[in-house]
Amino acid sequence: MPSSLFDLWPVLGVGAIGALIPTKKDWKLRAGLGLSAALLVLFMLKVWDLPVTPEGGAKEWPNLLSALIAIPLLGAGFLLFLPRQSPELLKRFTLGVLALDLLLSLTLLSVPMTKGWHFQSIHEWVPSLGIRYHVAVDGISVWLVLLTTFVTPIAVFASFGSIKTRIKELCFSYLLMQGAMLCSFVALDLFLFYVAFELMLVPMYVMIGIWGGAEKIKASLKFFLYTMFGSVLMLAALLYLVWQYTRITGAPSFDLLALSRVMLPQKVQTVCFVAFALAFFIKVPMFPVHTWLPDAHVQAPTGGSVILAAIMLKVGTYGYLRFAMGLFPWAAGTMSANLAGVAVLGGVLYGALCAWKQDDVKKLVAYSSVAHLGYVMLGLFSATPSAISGSILQMVNHGVSTGALFMLVGVIYDRRHTRQVDEFGGLAKVMPVFATLWLIVTFASIGVPGTNGFVGEFMIIMGTYASPRLGRFAGIDTVLAAFGVILGAVYMLSVTQKMMFGPLSNPKNKRLSDVNTREGLALAPLVVLIFVIGFFPSLFTDRMKDAVAAFDVRYRDSFELAKMHGNEPPELIEIQDPSFLQGAPPLGKAAVEAARAAAGEGAK
Amino acid sequence: MGTILALAPLLLLALGGCGLMLTEAYASFTKAREEGASAQLALPSAVTMLAAAVMALGLWLKDPATIDGAKALEPWLVVDRFTVFFTMVTCLGGALATLLAGGYLPEHNLDRGEFYPLIIFSTLGCVVLAAAGDLLTLFLGLETMSLGVYALTGFRRSSRSVEAAMKYFLLGSFAAALLLYGGALLYGATGHTDLVGIGQALTKGGRLPYPALVFAFALILVGIGFKVSAVPFHMWAPDAYEGAPTPVMAYMSVAVKSAGFAMALRVLVTTFGDPKFGSWATGWPPILALLAVLTMVIANLVAGRQESVKRMLAYSSIAHAGYVLVGVVSVMKVGSEAQASVLFYLLAYTVSTIGALGALVWMGSRGKEATSYEDLAGVGRRHPAAAFAMSFFLLSLAGVPPLGGFFGKLYVFRAAVGAGFYWLAVIGLLSSVIGAYYYLRVMVYMYMRESAPGAPEAEPMRSGMVVSALVISGIVVLWLGLMPGASLEMAIAAAVK
Repeated sequence: MPSSLFDLWPVLGVGAIGALIPTKKDWKLRAGLGLSAALLVLFMLKVWDLPVTPEGGAKEWPNLLSALIAIPLLGAGFLLFLPRQSPELLKRFTLGVLALDLLLSLTLLSVPMTKGWHFQSIHEWVPSLGIRYHVAVDGISVWLVLLTTFVTPIAVFASFGSIKTRIKELCFSYLLMQGAMLCSFVALDLFLFYVAFELMLVPMYVMIGIWGGAEKIKASLKFFLYTMFGSVLMLAALLYLVWQYTRITGAPSFDLLALSRVMLPQKVQTVCFVAFALAFFIKVPMFPVHTWLPDAHVQAPTGGSVILAAIMLKVGTYGYLRFAMGLFPWAAGTMSANLAGVAVLGGVLYGALCAWKQDDVKKLVAYSSVAHLGYVMLGLFSATPSAISGSILQMVNHGVSTGALFMLVGVIYDRRHTRQVDEFGGLAKVMPVFATLWLIVTFASIGVPGTNGFVGEFMIIMGTYASPRLGRFAGIDTVLAAFGVILGAVYMLSVTQKMMFGPLSNPKNKRLSDVNTREGLALAPLVVLIFVIGFFPSLFTDRMKDAVAAFDVRYRDSFELAKMHGNEPPELIEIQDPSFLQGAPPLGKAAVEAARAAAGEGAK
Repeated sequence: MGTILALAPLLLLALGGCGLMLTEAYASFTKAREEGASAQLALPSAVTMLAAAVMALGLWLKDPATIDGAKALEPWLVVDRFTVFFTMVTCLGGALATLLAGGYLPEHNLDRGEFYPLIIFSTLGCVVLAAAGDLLTLFLGLETMSLGVYALTGFRRSSRSVEAAMKYFLLGSFAAALLLYGGALLYGATGHTDLVGIGQALTKGGRLPYPALVFAFALILVGIGFKVSAVPFHMWAPDAYEGAPTPVMAYMSVAVKSAGFAMALRVLVTTFGDPKFGSWATGWPPILALLAVLTMVIANLVAGRQESVKRMLAYSSIAHAGYVLVGVVSVMKVGSEAQASVLFYLLAYTVSTIGALGALVWMGSRGKEATSYEDLAGVGRRHPAAAFAMSFFLLSLAGVPPLGGFFGKLYVFRAAVGAGFYWLAVIGLLSSVIGAYYYLRVMVYMYMRESAPGAPEAEPMRSGMVVSALVISGIVVLWLGLMPGASLEMAIAAAVK
């Protein structure tokens, strides 16, 4: 921590620069930008100072994660009793709750993210079914938690500029969604995860359905039913897995750590993996189950799109990494070569080509999400430490840059009520700040060096080339993925060229006002983060490397064990990593007795 | 003394019903809403039923097995934890439906006092049916329950309502006759009328006339199918439900169905519980599994095509019977866990359905009753509280966590997976996705559409009783979803041995 005022000079300096940047004499914008810049530098200094290696004595408040989840949920409950007639009160209350959540979540960074679980909190929930309230973060999920607490307030703040009706429902949905999303990233009990996974659908459904565009009802139903279809199959597989665990150990458990001990026969594992993976692929979304995404995005209001793209899709990628790969390593490993092909051809290339052909710029951004998440999935399929780190970083990157893109699209939509590319041209002349921001975010999205996108995609592509999982396709996958980067540049730059530059031909665009205070304040942190990640990626990768390395070892070990296991009936396996099992439920009586009997036989 | 203690809920219902009937006969009610029959009778009858439920809870805590004299009326009336659990569920359902009626009847100009004694006596029938350990009491309970409901279905006295009551009466009597005939055949074959005795005779086997047994069993199964409205024996349900006043529909789809399942479980477990009847190859599970699949798939598909919310909810209640049947099918393999899943599901279903129908009642006022989807357009803006309540209970019915309905589904399908019926669980889960579609469609109309200009709009009513029923159901739904542990343990302990 900075000890004296002198130590704070970079903070104050950057704050002053931030406050002096705007051309307009708007003190709110100046103060807001200065404050956010200063806070960001403070945050950076804190992160930078912190030793990455453990030094002992780091205090973890066990209820921190519970508080992070509970604050928005309780806030949502409390909001129901606030008067609908005073929207300002509702808005301030919501932003206050989200800001509190953000500040609280920054303390997650106060401890070094070593191997194993942090801020773990376990309570019995339904003992007779083995369901526990079990939350914890590691170096992987901590970034997604921070992404959530960081992006949601921005999206909410931006959306208050364009949505004027039914503020109470809007605020309630945001808070409920925030609680559910955070819960899904920190849940280590699969029941708890499933609850959060389903619960976050409802507010998003309401959000698309109420404040969406012309086809909103179709889009919202499609979104809900698609996702629910996948998740019920996951539930069936989950129930099967829990039943097997119960049969072997004599005590039920929905805990991820406990269920990771179960080694299923290879064939069964494949079936269960398909059920889990389908649920997550739909959520990601991966080709060919991506068709709900363009509809949902195009119809959703800006705030909804930002949250959907930046956070909710990450639940799919994160869930695939944590649960599908964690529980069924054999099936995930053997199928990943084929799946990587689908990710490259269907996600990266097809998504990019689709994006290229769109007339609607929001749809273009939506398809670009399919392409970007194709990279993330490719990294997860490759499953080398570098690729996994790159994927996690790319999840954050995509959240930042696509979130910013959707907000920028929202800016012009609020002014012109159209998103057709041909309607625009030469916007840089009337909206210079907007055009600058657009260009920066576009560069981030296509991965120009120095921005965040470059780091993530580079790590993924490097990791893919070295991946033993992809076998002989690793090379061709790498080449095609690299080609996808070029395609990304093609579609993003061509739309930039059409919209921002060229003659200002459409008279309707002549009087457009530039980015206003609210929009500027909302976009500024995202733009800054683009460069922070771009220039200092090690800030992020250093904290995730222990967790990724541990995951990699466990994944490979379990794969080898499964190879030997073959199609034998289910049995328990030993997990070598004690830090992973920290907090796992004790084995049931039957398992303990079996172990004792085995030990007794050994003694004889 | 112990006998009276064990039968206290039953006696309370009987005495309370008689008392209310006399009060109704001798009191003079005026047309004014404040002094009408509902204003004076609804609360006492709801309290009577709630008191019976609380007494049942007391019995539960004391454990009927430890009460001397509780077995005095066996085999006619069996007072065990199973009975006590169903007493709680049906009395809770009855009490909440009565509260809804207290607001609904005066609002829609149906304020006649006989409603309340009828519903209490019908609930009495439900309890007797759940407690019946003999074919005679079983039939007695069934008819006591049904006769009250036949009358209540036609309570509106409009042609639609009378048609519904007539249909229900004819098909219900038909089903009862089948059940009776099946019972007669069983008696002829085994010489017993008590369920345990029949079960023992069947287990011992010996020289039993096999064709008669098969025929008897088929008849009994059809009778049960009618009562729980399983496809293809569901034809009466949508018409009867739609024609009945909404609180009666709530009562029918909740208490009557629960009692039907109580009868089904008790008969199947005590009489046909022998492994040779419960095996997949030669027993009843495959038949019930087929019924469950048909019920879940067909009812959910048809419900999605309805234009009236009330009719949709009628089909949805049929679909829920399908999910419960999945639990019943698993009973032979996983025993008390599967029974517990049925009991828990029925409890969660009871409060969710009462809540959804209560919200529907709340949304309509005199001459402007909410029944079709169009009526609900824009309710989210005009009456946010009712719309919120409706969404809450519909999401519970759709099985969205962390509400009670989700936990019920999870528990039932867990039982199916534990019994090895994976395909049954998968079909059930997939059909619940279809179910989500039509529940969400209600939300679409409430929040995302505005009513067409000039179209009839439902106007919300004011009634403290409806709101209190909704609040009670809402608390129970949340309690079942967030803290299901206690009620799950109760349900496990309640299984028929």
